[in-house]
Amino acid sequence: MEKSFVFEFLGLKFDLVGILGSTLMALAVLFVCIWLSKKVEMRPNKKQNVIEYLLDFTNGIVKDNVSDPDAQKHLSLYAFVLFLFIWFMNQLGMFLEVKVGDWMVIKSPTADPVATMSFAMMTLLLSFTFGVQKFGVGGYLKNYTAPVGFLLPINIIEEFTNFLTLSLRLYGNIYAGEVLLTLLGDRLAMSGGPVTLVLAAPLAMIWQGFSVFIGSIQAYVFVTLSMVYIGKKVTKE
Amino acid sequence: MTLETLFAASHIYLGNTIWYLIVFAILLLLVKHYAWGPVSEMMEKRRQKVIEDLDSAASDRKKAEVLVNEREAALKDSRKEATKILSDAKTNAQKASDEIVANANNDAVSIRKKAEADAKQAKADALNDARGQVADISVAIAEKVIAKNLSAEDQKDLVDQFIKGLND
Repeated sequence: MEKSFVFEFLGLKFDLVGILGSTLMALAVLFVCIWLSKKVEMRPNKKQNVIEYLLDFTNGIVKDNVSDPDAQKHLSLYAFVLFLFIWFMNQLGMFLEVKVGDWMVIKSPTADPVATMSFAMMTLLLSFTFGVQKFGVGGYLKNYTAPVGFLLPINIIEEFTNFLTLSLRLYGNIYAGEVLLTLLGDRLAMSGGPVTLVLAAPLAMIWQGFSVFIGSIQAYVFVTLSMVYIGKKVTKE
Repeated sequence: MTLETLFAASHIYLGNTIWYLIVFAILLLLVKHYAWGPVSEMMEKRRQKVIEDLDSAASDRKKAEVLVNEREAALKDSRKEATKILSDAKTNAQKASDEIVANANNDAVSIRKKAEADAKQAKADALNDARGQVADISVAIAEKVIAKNLSAEDQKDLVDQFIKGLND
């Protein structure tokens, strides 16, 4: 079983794999963004086209799911960064999985439920904030009894299910992808000498390609559902 | 797989959550400052420019249409004017030619009248002259005839008569 470096600081437990992976990918997102928008012009250059396409893409997700124009403006940045960050973290484990002995050093941070729950929590808190900002505390709480009063428990349970489905969907997809990749790369490749080693390579390649696809889809789904949940809070039913 | 292994050997590392949130917040700010801000600002600027360009193109088009209409109207006017000038010139020329012809006719008539009068005068003069001369000639002829036919007696009678007449 793989182990990870866990250390305690200020009474909180920290897992080095997640910290390393997320920090690396945050830097990657930052550098890619800075590199793409080095020269921003009225007549867009090639790099600018790429980042503008990405921005249009995430803005499209926001506009499709949030009808409030004021919230749209604020969510544009959130959706853009969230999408890129999660996408990068999803892809990290596909091409870079560093193990030293039994110690895991680098893998996808999103293959860890704590990471996905953190981001789901962030979205949930953001949706509360937007809801309270829009309707006030009283109006926001009243929305839990909408459209009829007896739906109150269901609406409260929905918050938890939203949180869990949002985080565990991402976690499950990426974790499964990594498990299968580990199986192909470790167990299958090492099981029978050179024959299985050669056999495992194309399989791993195919699975990696598929995982890139899954990672992109999951990043898209995560951002879309985040926007759906936030959008639901800022629209009157 | 037990729940324990799922959560990485019974550690639920809340520290990571805080770390993720901090990293995400910093990333959000940096991306906003370096990439999202300038790019979305430029996109908005471009959007405004496109709107402005479309508006100005529409107004230019409208202006051009107005100009074309004006030009067409002016062309039509000038054509009308040209036709009018032409017809005016024609009527003027007709009038002038009529006048000239009438004048010429008048002149011709007066010249003919004068010529007729002159001819009449000349004829009358000639007739008068001729009459005087005929009288003189006839007198001369008569004198000559008389002088040849008169006898001495007759001549004597005539002289007598003449003298008698003188005496009376």
